[in-house]
Amino acid sequence: MSPRDDRTDVLQGTLALMVLKTLDTLGPLHGYGIARRLEQVSGDAIRLNQGTIYPALVRLEQQGWIRAKWGASEHNRRAKFYALTAAGRRQLDAETERWSRVSDVVGRILDPGDAS
Amino acid sequence: MTALRRLAARLRELVTRGRVERELHDEIRHHLDLLAEDYVRRGWSPEDARREARRAFGGVDQAVEAVRDRRGFRLVDTVRRDVREAVRSLVRTPAFTLAAVLTLAMGVGVNTAIFTLVDAVLVRPLPYPAPDRLVALWETLPAREAVQPGAPESGGPPARVAVAPANLADYQARVGDLATFAAWSQVGRNVIGPGGPERLTGEEVTAAYFDVLGIPPATGRTFRADEFVPGRDAVIVLGYGLWQRQFGGDAGVLGRSIELDGGPREIVGIMPRGFVAASALDGDVDFWIPAAYPPDILAGRGEHIVEVAGRLAPGVTLDAVRQRLATVPGDIAREDPRSAGLGVAVDVLQADQVRATAPLLVALLWAVGLILVTACANVAGLLVVRAGTRTREVAVRVALGASRGRVLLALATESAVLATLGTAAGLALGSWTTAALVAAAPPGLPRLDSVTFGGRTLAFAAVLAAVTTILVGLLPAWRSSGTHPSSVLRSSGRGVTGAWLRRTRSVLLAGEIALSLVLLVGAVLMARSLATLNAVDLGFDPHQVLAARVSLDRARYEDADRRLAFFEAAEAAVRRIPGVRDVAFGNRLPLRGNWTSGMELRGADGAGVQAIAGFQAVSPGYLATFRLPLRRGRWIADGDRARAAQVAVVNEAFARELLDGADPVGRQFRRTDASPWATIVGVVGDVRRGGRTTGIEPQVYVPAAQTAQYPLWLSDVGIRTDGDPRAVSAQVRDAIWSVDPRLPVTLVRTLDETLALGQAEREFQTWLFLVFAGLALALAVVGTYGVVAYAVSQKTAEIGLRMALGAGAARVLGWVLRQAAAPVATGAAAGLVAAWFLSRFVASLLFGIEATDAPSYGAAVAVVTGVAAAAGLLAGRRATRVDPASVLK
Repeated sequence: MSPRDDRTDVLQGTLALMVLKTLDTLGPLHGYGIARRLEQVSGDAIRLNQGTIYPALVRLEQQGWIRAKWGASEHNRRAKFYALTAAGRRQLDAETERWSRVSDVVGRILDPGDAS
Repeated sequence: MTALRRLAARLRELVTRGRVERELHDEIRHHLDLLAEDYVRRGWSPEDARREARRAFGGVDQAVEAVRDRRGFRLVDTVRRDVREAVRSLVRTPAFTLAAVLTLAMGVGVNTAIFTLVDAVLVRPLPYPAPDRLVALWETLPAREAVQPGAPESGGPPARVAVAPANLADYQARVGDLATFAAWSQVGRNVIGPGGPERLTGEEVTAAYFDVLGIPPATGRTFRADEFVPGRDAVIVLGYGLWQRQFGGDAGVLGRSIELDGGPREIVGIMPRGFVAASALDGDVDFWIPAAYPPDILAGRGEHIVEVAGRLAPGVTLDAVRQRLATVPGDIAREDPRSAGLGVAVDVLQADQVRATAPLLVALLWAVGLILVTACANVAGLLVVRAGTRTREVAVRVALGASRGRVLLALATESAVLATLGTAAGLALGSWTTAALVAAAPPGLPRLDSVTFGGRTLAFAAVLAAVTTILVGLLPAWRSSGTHPSSVLRSSGRGVTGAWLRRTRSVLLAGEIALSLVLLVGAVLMARSLATLNAVDLGFDPHQVLAARVSLDRARYEDADRRLAFFEAAEAAVRRIPGVRDVAFGNRLPLRGNWTSGMELRGADGAGVQAIAGFQAVSPGYLATFRLPLRRGRWIADGDRARAAQVAVVNEAFARELLDGADPVGRQFRRTDASPWATIVGVVGDVRRGGRTTGIEPQVYVPAAQTAQYPLWLSDVGIRTDGDPRAVSAQVRDAIWSVDPRLPVTLVRTLDETLALGQAEREFQTWLFLVFAGLALALAVVGTYGVVAYAVSQKTAEIGLRMALGAGAARVLGWVLRQAAAPVATGAAAGLVAAWFLSRFVASLLFGIEATDAPSYGAAVAVVTGVAAAAGLLAGRRATRVDPASVLK
């Protein structure tokens, strides 16, 4: 029953893709690890409120793309680790493919000279 | 599969919500700690690092809320709040709540009760392994010629008869290994039980019986193939009940013997507790014995004496078996011309067992379904009115930004709460009704003992609750949520929904009238057919007559003269009881069985013709005991004994049908080639031997004392008394035991009781329909009252104006009543059409009247419209009491 906002949906979709990619690259991570990695890789181009990754993680988990498990962190503290599932990997591949196609198309439209 | 698992995971989250939330907080705290440590490493002071971490995280509460949303917790919270609010608002209007809950409870109650019954009787599989492969096999013979025009039995399809063992052998041979058939017939045997002589019911079964049903004995064995031969068949398998009663459940009875009818039988096995015998529909079965048929039965194509069930081999269809069997009766008829017209029918056993009751139960399902719909319509009507009074509240909520879906959810929640309350109350009502139904149900409704108010009923009730919620709530909810806030808030809160409300209520009322009319037509049809039935003349006087059956031991009463001597002595003993007016005995008394036999009738020219008639051997007291009118000649006299001339008395139908109306007195006949010729000496009036629904058949009465004329054992005593016949039943038993104390006296019943028992099912059906129609009518009354009362309340000002302008009370009343007149008329018309279509479902339950009987429809319309008019008048009276002065001020 929550009101729909198209912009959050787009952002959520992008965030989801980035989280999946992060987990694919680095393996199982806890929430803080994922947030920090996103900031580092984007070179501060994306400044997100780190709290927003939690609803995104719940959604990915509900979709069956990631799996959460409690474990011990590097400092031997209890932490929840997220890992990519097989379905998540397939989703990542599909999304990556779609993303590059879209950005390719968008790129050609924005820079027609390249297309001729 | 994964979708299902995911759904399960989410539901689990909702249940373990507390833990999930705690874990989320842990997770976030961990995140903040790590973030803060990072800042500390970069040289921040611990306090600053902590603050900076919270800033970078961006609000813990928002994150938690967002996760909650994501997990669906918010919806749960909303629903919980709505439920609380709905309950609060229902409590605020107790009258409305009570009316709605009671109405729904009534609908749900009768539905769960009838569902429980239908489930047990029609749906639940038979208590045997692979019950769907069990079939019933019957033989059919051409229907008798029409005896009574208009009577349901006349003409029609071929009549089902029991199977001849001789023919069964042919069926089994032809069907080969596609199916195995087993036969049984119920037998009665005497045993001296712990409490005196007892009559036991058993089954005489063929070798395949236990295999076909698929249930092995609990201990011991069933019968060996060599035990189905006369002389070697003195073995018995006990039922669990008999084993407990007679032997106290002693495990050592195997190998011991039990005396049945004075002859010992070795106990070889005991069936498990709860084993349901093939003929258990007709009552409990105490024992099983092998069917060792004598040669004449094994060769007799016309000896239709056994019932047959079969088990199909795996993968074999019913049609395959039917095809194999189709030509067998023709072959039999070629070999035995008397079997001309023979047919064979195979059907699924369960369907076959319930074929008599299925139409009633299906009709009942329709009836209660209609009641539930009516109840829902009524509650929907109440809710619509309520929605009308709440229009402002809804409008305010919409104006304050609540989405249409949000308002809809709140209103739907309210109807769901109502439906749940109604269903809960209905379940209580239903379990009580089920018990009452089972107690009141007529005998012969199969498998009633398996009626339980269990999980399946609860599941059904849950479905009902859901359906009810939708039927009751969605219409008013959808309507209210569509309210435009501005128009409502601008107006005084009245008028916008007024017209719509009136229209909706009118439609609901029309529906209620139509439904109650349909049910009432059914009830009137049933009641009229019952009245028609009760008006049928039996031809004898059944009042103040007690009858009892004395089953003679096979071993001690093999000789017909001994049997006669016993009954003559018993008659004399019973006659000495004070208050006994007349006594008679015979092999079958009216309402207590029948016997039909072929005979050779000597024509006026002396040539013999074959004829079929009912036969009874009776004592001279029979005429006075049953008050039969003597039409011609004389009745059987004391002097008509074995050595005297063989005589008989016939009925009028005999003369009418077999002699073309000629005088039968002086004609001669013999039953078989071996029987002596007998002369007809008198004619008595016709009787309906089997009760009011049966026809009149040619009938021959032979003197019980002339035992050469009949083979059937004497068994029944009839006693006409001056006072209440039940008062002498104990003395009658003592009198019989004074002659032979080892004989069980059973079926001690007055003829009136037997008649009532035979009609019990019809009466039961009629009462059910009457009660249901009454319920529906009550709902329609509430509906009518509501419509008129609402019209009065909405139009008080207009009424006052009209009265001020000189309209009299009668005119005002007429004007108010017209509000309800159109929907009632429409509903009645629709109900008539629907009843006309639906009446075919009760057609098979009717006797002597058509399902389209116009007077019944007329009566139902008169009652429904009359009652609706009365309800309208009651509500409309308020209109005439409006004080014009106060309204116009």
